[in-house]
Amino acid sequence: MSQFLTKRILQMLVALLGVSIVVFALIHLVPGDPVRVALGTRFDQDLYDMLRERSGLDRPFIEQYFAWLGNALTGDLGLSFRNSQPVTSLVLERLPATITLAFAALFVAIVVALPAGIISAVRSGKPLDYAVSAASQVGISMPDFWAGVMYILLFALTLRWLPSSGYVSFLESPIEWLRHLVLPAITIGLISGSVITRFVRSAVLEALNQDYVRTARAKGLSEWRIIRRHVLPNAWIPIVTVVGLQLGFLMGGLVVVEVIFAWPGLGRLALTAVKDRDFTLLQGAVLYIAFMFLTINLIVDLIYVRLDPRVRVS
Amino acid sequence: MTRSAIRPKWVLMLLAIALVAAACGDDDAETTTTAAAAGTTTVTTAGDDGDTATTAAPATTAAAAEPMVLVAAQGSEPDTLDPHLTSAYASFQVLENVYDTLVQPGDDLSMEPALAESWTISADNLTWTFVLRQGVKFHNGREFVADDVVFSFERIIAEGLNGWRFGSVESVTAVDDYTVDVTLTVPSPNLLVSVAGFKGMAIVAKETVEDGTIATNPVGTGPFRFVSQSPDGGIVLEANSDFWRAGEGLPILDGIRFVQIPDAGTKLTALRTGEVDWIDAVPPQDVDGLSSEAGITVGRVPGGDYHYFALNQNRPPFNDVRVRRAIATAINRTEIAEAAQFGAATANQTAIPASNGSWHLDYAPYQSADIAGAQALLDDAGVADLSIDFLVTSDFPETVTQAQVIAAQLAPLGITVNIVDVDFGTWLDMEGNGEFDAFMLSWIGNIDPDDFYYAQHHTGEWANFQGYSNPDVDALLDAARVETDSAARKALYDQAAAMIVDDASYIYLYNPDNINAWSDAVGGYATRGDNAIRFVGTFLQP
Repeated sequence: MSQFLTKRILQMLVALLGVSIVVFALIHLVPGDPVRVALGTRFDQDLYDMLRERSGLDRPFIEQYFAWLGNALTGDLGLSFRNSQPVTSLVLERLPATITLAFAALFVAIVVALPAGIISAVRSGKPLDYAVSAASQVGISMPDFWAGVMYILLFALTLRWLPSSGYVSFLESPIEWLRHLVLPAITIGLISGSVITRFVRSAVLEALNQDYVRTARAKGLSEWRIIRRHVLPNAWIPIVTVVGLQLGFLMGGLVVVEVIFAWPGLGRLALTAVKDRDFTLLQGAVLYIAFMFLTINLIVDLIYVRLDPRVRVS
Repeated sequence: MTRSAIRPKWVLMLLAIALVAAACGDDDAETTTTAAAAGTTTVTTAGDDGDTATTAAPATTAAAAEPMVLVAAQGSEPDTLDPHLTSAYASFQVLENVYDTLVQPGDDLSMEPALAESWTISADNLTWTFVLRQGVKFHNGREFVADDVVFSFERIIAEGLNGWRFGSVESVTAVDDYTVDVTLTVPSPNLLVSVAGFKGMAIVAKETVEDGTIATNPVGTGPFRFVSQSPDGGIVLEANSDFWRAGEGLPILDGIRFVQIPDAGTKLTALRTGEVDWIDAVPPQDVDGLSSEAGITVGRVPGGDYHYFALNQNRPPFNDVRVRRAIATAINRTEIAEAAQFGAATANQTAIPASNGSWHLDYAPYQSADIAGAQALLDDAGVADLSIDFLVTSDFPETVTQAQVIAAQLAPLGITVNIVDVDFGTWLDMEGNGEFDAFMLSWIGNIDPDDFYYAQHHTGEWANFQGYSNPDVDALLDAARVETDSAARKALYDQAAAMIVDDASYIYLYNPDNINAWSDAVGGYATRGDNAIRFVGTFLQP
């Protein structure tokens, strides 16, 4: 087990290094000069040269990368070009909102997807199955920017049940925290849930067609017991995989939904960093997103091992 | 197998618990909403009853104990709170209420006293002496003195984005604690606008620069004191009880909370539901609808910003003035303003709007949508099958709309417009490198004519990306810069402006309106011609 873990963590570090190189190169290849953006339309050569020198942007690309990497290894991701704040703290202060929304959305997704997917598989080919499939198709096709705006118009403007935007910390007011969370979580959760539903359905359906299920039926077990004891344990791995992928994607911040609901998450931070060509901030944010994704992947792999000991051998 | 069978059960149980918890939470939330709504209704009624008694009345209601905090929604996020290093309008919306300048634009945009109570100009027009207000305190309790002015100005000159505004300043010296001399190399009639036209020229406290806190914890002398900034709470300001206008009862609000709502639709909804009291801009297409809504006031003032496009005079055939004039007369400015701003703008063939009474020039030599006239000019120049690479940026979406309208308006002349739509970072690169046949943008926040014309149209100046050069215009702009007689100065600028329009150095389009909106509970606020957001006299009615 510890050997498996060590191997996976080493792989993860190599992947992070790769991500940092690719991101660093890509950012510098994109047209648009951060100093020029900071100066806006008021261009002045002396000021431009001074700012470039101060931020180290006048140095060769390779030198910039290794200087950054050296600091990053000690946990220092540098200072934001635009406001001279440490990138680490800018990213960290966005984490509570990002993690809250990611887990709330995943919660909505699972609550919708598990029952819907199981029912759909059990009633395969029946009207209920078609209804679930149609609903999940709608969910997948519905753009988040449209759904979010509709929820705001209905629940915030017309019915006045929930606030339209913003984020309140749980410590400040748990009730307000929840009220602000509902609409963005549902907007993303229903889309994510639609994706997961399809995986749950196909995983359960496959397990239902196995011989041991026929045996269980022959033994006269109740349908619910068959699903609980024989089908779900075998359907679990593909479901965990897709849930893990969805969570990794949610933890990276959700630009569109964060903009619509004025949610102070990582997505908006990264978006601002792109617009301002704030290289250090963007680099830090992307590195964090990659780190989260890889960590969740690692956790998913560990869960595999728990669910199915065969994984450890292979 | 048994172990893996346990896990799903455990997960399902957790989900069930969470579901119940969420359901309870939702119930609570609804109760709270209802209670809050009912509470608001009661308070409003009480307020209406006691309206005639004005300030005395609220003391009897429970609501009077609540601090009067305005919630202001901004469409974008401040990048840094250092007034000398930011160029973001969102930052200035906040800093306008935290910092002061030596003097400041009044309601009619003429300069009025602020930290300086008065000023005198020497006989040779080369020394301006400012007499400072005494007893003014920074938010950290330290008294404001002449050294702070010297320090702030020297910092702006050395590293600020606005150092260029001190182009004619030779030195800034503190004569004593309450007197500052500004000496010039040439007479500069626009000095007040240059050194105090907006909060980028703020007087800051030296200690906050030295300890590096200025970017996150601004300390000024203004009506509101900075308290905190966080992703969830926004930017919180509280009333400065030691404000130098405290004697007049200012500021009235107990505090301001700036929240950032990037989506324009959500921002409008937040105003409609009462989650926020004030919003910084209204999409032009929503202005009419919003104006007629009960409970909301829309403030709309002709602004000093102007939208324009320019043809690259370093590239043929745009170096031929006939080609530029042809395009200037073929377009229909009213139609462009209607498409881009839904009519919340005034078409203008020059830069300075009528609302800037002192410097406006009423000059419109071009016929609108004169296709025949334009064709004649093109024929005369021997130009046919013209193609224009038109540089725009979707970060300022109106430039894209305008280019599309212009493309349609030029089509009858056989002109092909290729719209090059890039992000603003790339746009600035391409503009700087001259990679365009035409580019389009707007200039914002100008008051003095020197800011409208010099950098843009003087030969070789830094903002003259279109490559315009006319020795007569250069001579006029140079002379007007140092002309201290206002009438003579205006005459010089009028001549220069007419030449710039005739030569189509810029093809001016329109001046957009400045638009804010606020709930009817907000009083003592007005949208300004210079787009400064001042809450010093603002209050909230119960």
